[in-house]
Amino acid sequence: MNRATRIAVIVAMAIAVLAPIGLVVYQSFLDGPFFQPKISFTLSAYEFVLDDEDFFDALYNSAIIALGMTAIAVPVGALLAFLMTRTDLPGRRWIEPVILVPMFVSSVVLAFGFVVSLGPAGFVTLWFKSTFGFVPWYLYSKWTLIVIAGLTHVPHVFLYTSSALRSLGSDVEEAARMTGAGPLRTALTVSLPMVMPNILYAAVLVFFLGFELFGLPLVLGDPEGILVLATYLYKLTNKLGTPSYQLMAVVVVAIICIALPLVALQRFLLRAANRYVSVKGKAAAQKPVSIGVWRWPAAAMITAWLLFTVVVPLSGLVLRAFVSSWGEGVNLFDVLTLAHFRELMEFPNLTRGIVNTLLIASVGGALSVGVYTMLNLAAHRWPSGWTRLMDYLVLLPRAMPGLVAGLAIFWVFLFTPFLAPLRQTMIAIWVAYTLVWLAYGMRLVSGALLQIGPELEEAGRIVGASPGRVSRDLTIPLIKVGLFSSWLLIFVTFMREYSTGVYLLAPGTEVIGSLLVSLWGTGAVDLVTALSTVNIAMIGGGLLLMSLFGKRSHG
Amino acid sequence: MRTKLALLVATALSVTVTVAVPAFTAGTAQAQSVPAGYDPAYAKIIEAANQEGALSIYSATDAAAVSELLKGFEALYPKIKLEYADQNSTEMYNRFISEAAANTGTTDLMWSSAMDLQMKLVNDGYAQSYTSPESKSIPDWANYKNEAFGTTAEPIVFAYNKRVVPAADVPKTHADLAKLLAEKPDAYKGKVTSYDPERSGVGFLYITQDVQANKNTWDLVKAMGQTGVKLYTSSGAMIERLTSGEHTIGYNMIGSYVFERQHKDPESLGIVLPSDYTIVMSRIAFIPKGAKHPNAAKLFLDYLLSKQGQQAIQARYMGSIRTDLASANPTAGVPDSTLRPIHVGPELLTYLDQVKRLKFLKDWQKALQGK
Repeated sequence: MNRATRIAVIVAMAIAVLAPIGLVVYQSFLDGPFFQPKISFTLSAYEFVLDDEDFFDALYNSAIIALGMTAIAVPVGALLAFLMTRTDLPGRRWIEPVILVPMFVSSVVLAFGFVVSLGPAGFVTLWFKSTFGFVPWYLYSKWTLIVIAGLTHVPHVFLYTSSALRSLGSDVEEAARMTGAGPLRTALTVSLPMVMPNILYAAVLVFFLGFELFGLPLVLGDPEGILVLATYLYKLTNKLGTPSYQLMAVVVVAIICIALPLVALQRFLLRAANRYVSVKGKAAAQKPVSIGVWRWPAAAMITAWLLFTVVVPLSGLVLRAFVSSWGEGVNLFDVLTLAHFRELMEFPNLTRGIVNTLLIASVGGALSVGVYTMLNLAAHRWPSGWTRLMDYLVLLPRAMPGLVAGLAIFWVFLFTPFLAPLRQTMIAIWVAYTLVWLAYGMRLVSGALLQIGPELEEAGRIVGASPGRVSRDLTIPLIKVGLFSSWLLIFVTFMREYSTGVYLLAPGTEVIGSLLVSLWGTGAVDLVTALSTVNIAMIGGGLLLMSLFGKRSHG
Repeated sequence: MRTKLALLVATALSVTVTVAVPAFTAGTAQAQSVPAGYDPAYAKIIEAANQEGALSIYSATDAAAVSELLKGFEALYPKIKLEYADQNSTEMYNRFISEAAANTGTTDLMWSSAMDLQMKLVNDGYAQSYTSPESKSIPDWANYKNEAFGTTAEPIVFAYNKRVVPAADVPKTHADLAKLLAEKPDAYKGKVTSYDPERSGVGFLYITQDVQANKNTWDLVKAMGQTGVKLYTSSGAMIERLTSGEHTIGYNMIGSYVFERQHKDPESLGIVLPSDYTIVMSRIAFIPKGAKHPNAAKLFLDYLLSKQGQQAIQARYMGSIRTDLASANPTAGVPDSTLRPIHVGPELLTYLDQVKRLKFLKDWQKALQGK
């Protein structure tokens, strides 16, 4: 890409990001909805929020949860990635798709699965109680929430780290093993440091995800009234009776104030990104590290994690889909039924919702990865003020909790004349999804890009290729694996996303996520669990096929 | 097959004829389309609605629960393409005022269980007035100036887990519940559940109604606070936990959801309509001034309030607002003096006043903490 194209791409992105964010920041200084005729500038919204002890309570909880889950998800995810991609652990091929399961189940539904299995009347709890006479856990405490949030975000770290590890040559690991390092030492001192940029990105993103966590605290924090920033927004609305946009906007501004120093910190940590170049202009075959007797503790760790984050909640969920009642004094065999699925079949617009979801996730996801790659190439090997600007911009959309982001993007479409006709189409939803998940897709692609030695591209330039040709024939093919796993991540993310699209959805553009949420609201848990079961089966099958196909195409 | 075709041709003909020479065939054509008992001039609304050809509804009632209702409407008026968008009541409100401000035209019918938000929109002048031919069949309290209409009659009930709560404990009145909790605080520790008025708009509405209906409400709240009541934001979360036995008594539950669930799971869930007083809530519908298809909206509103529409609502346990269908409601047999319907009117706006609302929430907190 030449300089003019790069700048054009970055400016286009800046506009797309700053339009909704700017609107929200502007809104935070007003005394009423920005679209109403008589409004004036004031700081009263800031005064109200900063005077509200619930806000600080929520902020504190969010910070603790974000920190805790980062501390759990990053080491577990990184180690898991090393085991799955670099070692001869048995059964890797089959475990890998299962690892991603917590990502593609909507977090509200996943949390509900935990309630059915580990809640005070859950079937695991009741079994444990009848066997041992006591129950050592309480599902609704803050600490349980942190552990669950941490363990269910392991897949994010796993994906970022494993995509980088895959494109790493084995020479360094072999050298370490030959000089006598054990497998754990190899992982901790050689392989994982090589992919440190990806792990750092993942850490910052998981921390950030922690700040806007919504589904888990909504369900698991409900009984004890544990507030986080995203659920605080609801409380705020209800405290005043009608939605108060300026107050919500203030909360977003607060999150932005946390986000910006984080980006600075991340830039500081990565100031010498070229320390981590691993794909160089020479062949490096990949050979798995033999971990010998270590395979048993490793397998035990993975099994334990899978049991807790996948088997326990999903069995609760699937079980609930097949029974009419559960809990204390219920013999589950007496209440088995297929009625929920029959009811589901009659559900209006179900097929359309499923088709739309698949479309937005697969085609939309691929297009988004295209956009993210473009943006990355625009900034690739170009140290300048423009790329610094970009680093700060990409994280901003995620500073808005899903519902606020959805509202802000809806406003942009509604009040911008030339965008208005697109508002009720899938295009608007795609734009919203792409924008909100900008940081994630961008990071995946850029993680892959960082690993390509500059000499390859320089060689391309020397033999006379244009910048565009270098990108097309050299850089992109080299990061193919990275692009594929970005698409995978985006696919599952879009598959379960709902909150962002809520205001853009119209009859004809329903997605499964929105159906789930509207059903959850009215207490139709029968249908929610049945639909989730179908959803899981669908994505699970798809992922399995893809991982087999993926293995073949680059294995 | 042949008869079907013939019927189709006949219908098509009669429609064309109506349009072409209304003066002569008006009698026969209207007999087909104008609902019985309506003014013949209603044909004009039907015609205009057919011209509009579409109808958009924003609703807080999920599409599955009203699928029969919607099918009935589509069968009556096949030329009108129905777009039913269900969403939560706050989203509905946000979307509506934004679209109204953007001047691009709004949805044609707003239908929501958040009575106070609906009333606020009506009070802010967003609704158009329409005298429904069905309005004589609904009680006065459910009709505000022909602008806002209550469309359902859903009791607010106690629900309890039949397997866990002994029959002798089941409270029949609000006082019973307070007494039970005072007498057996240990058995019901953490077992009572209700909406959190601080986090849920409907929960707030019902508890303010309680305070109006019963001066001892704060004592009940105190008793609930002392047993460590668990407060939630959605009825799904509560009903699910009630059936599992995680909680055993649910206070101020929306009747329609509980009855629906009880129908599927009669062994687990018991329901009490409190015999001292039972609050009745109603989903409010109004036609916005900015409606793009106002005539289609009128047809739908009339259909919604008609016997046929109300029976479809009753079938899903929401309870009919019509006086002539009340005998088939969940509240049938309850004397009128016991029922406390939440009136559709400006009194719903009382607690949208910020100062009053925050004061009420403070009182709630105090009572809950036993002060």
